[in-house]
Amino acid sequence: MTTHTAPAGRLRHPPELEAEPFGDSALMLRIKHDDADFRRAAGSRLRDVLLEVRPYGVLDIVAGVESLLVEFDCLAVTHEQLAQTIRLAVAGNGLEPGAPSASRSLFVIPMVVSEEFSPDLPDVAEELGLSPEAVLQQFQSSVLTINLLAAAMAPMMGGVRFPGQVSRCVEPRTNVEPGSVMVAGTNAIIQPFPGPSGWKVIGRTPLTICDIRQNPATSYKPGDLVRFEVVPEHGWSRLEGQFLRASSDGPPSDGAEGGNNDLP
Amino acid sequence: MTFPEHPISIKVSEAGWLSTFQDLGRENSEFMGVPCGGAADQRSAAAANILVGNSRKAACLEIMGGRFAFTATHEVMCAVTGVPAEVTVNGDPVAMWEPLCLPAGARVVLSKASGGMRNYLAFSGELETARFMGSAAPESRMGFPQQLAPGQTVTLHSRYRGFTHPFLTQPLFRLPVPVPDFSPDVWTIDVVDGPETDRTPGIRKLLSSSHYTVGAKSNHVGLRLDGPVVHPEGLGEIVSHGVPIGAFEIPHGDELIILGRSRTLTAGYPIVAVAAKASLSMLGQASPGRKMTFRWIGNDQAVEQYREQQRGLAHLEDRVHALFAAVGLPVSASFAAVSSPSPAAA
Repeated sequence: MTTHTAPAGRLRHPPELEAEPFGDSALMLRIKHDDADFRRAAGSRLRDVLLEVRPYGVLDIVAGVESLLVEFDCLAVTHEQLAQTIRLAVAGNGLEPGAPSASRSLFVIPMVVSEEFSPDLPDVAEELGLSPEAVLQQFQSSVLTINLLAAAMAPMMGGVRFPGQVSRCVEPRTNVEPGSVMVAGTNAIIQPFPGPSGWKVIGRTPLTICDIRQNPATSYKPGDLVRFEVVPEHGWSRLEGQFLRASSDGPPSDGAEGGNNDLP
Repeated sequence: MTFPEHPISIKVSEAGWLSTFQDLGRENSEFMGVPCGGAADQRSAAAANILVGNSRKAACLEIMGGRFAFTATHEVMCAVTGVPAEVTVNGDPVAMWEPLCLPAGARVVLSKASGGMRNYLAFSGELETARFMGSAAPESRMGFPQQLAPGQTVTLHSRYRGFTHPFLTQPLFRLPVPVPDFSPDVWTIDVVDGPETDRTPGIRKLLSSSHYTVGAKSNHVGLRLDGPVVHPEGLGEIVSHGVPIGAFEIPHGDELIILGRSRTLTAGYPIVAVAAKASLSMLGQASPGRKMTFRWIGNDQAVEQYREQQRGLAHLEDRVHALFAAVGLPVSASFAAVSSPSPAAA
């Protein structure tokens, strides 16, 4: 299951867009809808529309879980002018997800599970009412979509096939090691650099997912797909520090079925 | 008379407590999860570059505390801005906030900064430095510290070849420099409403009638202030979202946080006010122990203040451009381009 057929596909009218001033130089955009999946899918489409249209005066866009913060030059436009431009852009482009982009890549990310690397796995299993093995089974069988890049380019992914929501740690950790694979709700995230986090840690990848000496610093981008693969602990040293690259240029499209089998 | 660019070595013999390469920050990086970062006092950093004929966005040095000293192999033109400090050239005091024409081999010392955190040092020309997403600004969490070490040599590519004029001696120039006033004991920072202001009863009166003190745990992610706070009522769960620079957050404890340029997504904390854009440069200078209070203004007034601040910089830019052109000093090629009224940089 992926977000290809998000409910936004059934949309006939542009959804209501709330635009709230956040200080003199920013506008917070939220899509009004009862369904969280809808809000997220339409929000990610809204981000793409804004990056493409580049409304006059916009300086940067920050994607949140269910919102977009648009930072602008207050000498170039007002909140009201910018909100109107954005609504026009939405009316003109729609927020229905288009066909999955051809440039969407798939990443298969190895992760090691151990007592040291997976301190929260028992808690997560208990919360979900599953065995730790079943949690990992569900996790590995999920094809996740990168919804946004959070702090320090951390890929925040949705679509974990857990039977319920995973809560956050009661006491956030002050430091989580890079490579840590973490879950909260039905989302997953990988810690690219040391830093605090309240997400539950269930494994660690030996790969380097973000390296500013690479250009770009990550191979992934919002919209890309991710699958995790648990590898044995002795596989760690062989993979340690390798820069994460896409496993393919995306899932085979219908037309190319059978034609890609012999590609590496 | 224009000369070709030539490389100049600038030897940094003392590097202060913390000195880094710096500029106005990254553009179009936040949607990729990388904060804009950049000079906390944007006005002073921009002015330093303008004063030496550079583009505002050129790389410069940011110096925080202690003694900073350098010697250049050739003649260079530089400018020092930021909080009041003592600047000497071969032992003689010189002025801040104006172009300094230095003879080859001169020893320049910056020390005794007071009243705030940061000084900016810009050189006519282009400093050679690494860039991350197009910017020289540090992003230390991601492994881009950009820190200068004592003994380090920095390379400058400059078209400056010294300056003499039959009728002028230093101080050479009379320029309309908008020097900020860092002297008040208690700084007044202008703020506009935040999304949760109305749901936080009493916050308006509290922020405008109390004194707050900047705490020691403050950094480029945020200033942490000691002072009275109230917590908003009846808020539901707030999921992770972007926050503007200058957002006032009240976390669960009794503390007020004002977010800086290296902030990231935030979750759960209400935003009870947002600093006016024209006040951000002042906030960027606040050091631990600094006392401040807040003044509520409307959005129109906030925009007008920022327009006034930018007008001051643009006016300086025009005058420097005209003066340098008249006396044959180099002006950055991109300088002429930015003086048109295009959207200003953050």
